[in-house]
Amino acid sequence: MAATIPELMERTIVALEILAQTAEPIDDEQQYVRDLVLVWSVRLRTVGSERATQAGAAELDDAIDWIAAEAARVTDPHRAIDWLSTLPQVALHAVGESSA
Amino acid sequence: MRFQDAARDARAVVYAGIQADPLVATCAGLLAAASAQQRVLARAVMNGETTVSDGWRIAFPGLFGTAAVSAGPAERARSDAILAAALAVAARGEQVRSQVRGAIVEALTERLLMRRVDPAALHRERRILFDGVAAEIHPYDVTVERPGSAEAYDCKWGARGIGADVLNQLDDARRHAAEEGQRLLVALVIFDARRSCEVRLARQSASREGVRLVSLESLDRLAGTRPSQSAALEAAR
Repeated sequence: MAATIPELMERTIVALEILAQTAEPIDDEQQYVRDLVLVWSVRLRTVGSERATQAGAAELDDAIDWIAAEAARVTDPHRAIDWLSTLPQVALHAVGESSA
Repeated sequence: MRFQDAARDARAVVYAGIQADPLVATCAGLLAAASAQQRVLARAVMNGETTVSDGWRIAFPGLFGTAAVSAGPAERARSDAILAAALAVAARGEQVRSQVRGAIVEALTERLLMRRVDPAALHRERRILFDGVAAEIHPYDVTVERPGSAEAYDCKWGARGIGADVLNQLDDARRHAAEEGQRLLVALVIFDARRSCEVRLARQSASREGVRLVSLESLDRLAGTRPSQSAALEAAR
């Protein structure tokens, strides 16, 4: 059975938290990293709660799994910071939401 | 207020070579006509680890999945072309990739402005000089040089590029122009989500009051049009 939209959003947040760990060596940017995780998690959970009863299609499941795996492949901490902004935009578009 | 070409120092010469890379023009041309979702695709791929296309097609069902069918073959072809061009950027080494991405944002900004502004008024890599004020060394990426309604743009690939130095330079230029009785619109063009830009700006102590922000979602405003709403995105809902 395909995951629900809230489940897909929570998967994205887990991937965000992994990226934040990858970005840890950049001391000067830790506040920015925490802010990004917080703000984007709120946005993702808002989408999840607005579409709480909606099941995602199988291709949405695949999309979020693949993009989370791509985020996990990032090992460079600078790139991880870039991805903290990129990942939620991709996830939101995958489920048909704008990144705004 | 006067405009002047930036000094042709070593950095400028090297960077001019990056700006002249045909891939930069190709990407800028594609992204100028792209939807917000297609622009996010370009950002993700050019930032990404994976340099083959299959996974990216999975990651963007709104562009390559069942929902994309209703957008029509032209949109699908544009998505394919953007993916191919972005992968070509990603295939470059890390340092070159970073420079190319910056040059793409500048070229995209210029292309979008060209829809609203006489191309003769558009310039790249220019300094702005004011009477009695020491000139800034860092040139503006794109300027619109028109009597009475000049514009200066600083372009960045990501929200992380926003810093006090660039905010201060833009705001200073705007204030100095006002002191001379001239209007200078100053703006940051960031190829990243507005939400991330606002996060970055919230921690900056520099004034941003007179500095406009053009984010990935609102790039089409440079052309004087409303932000594009992807048909594919709508269809995916």
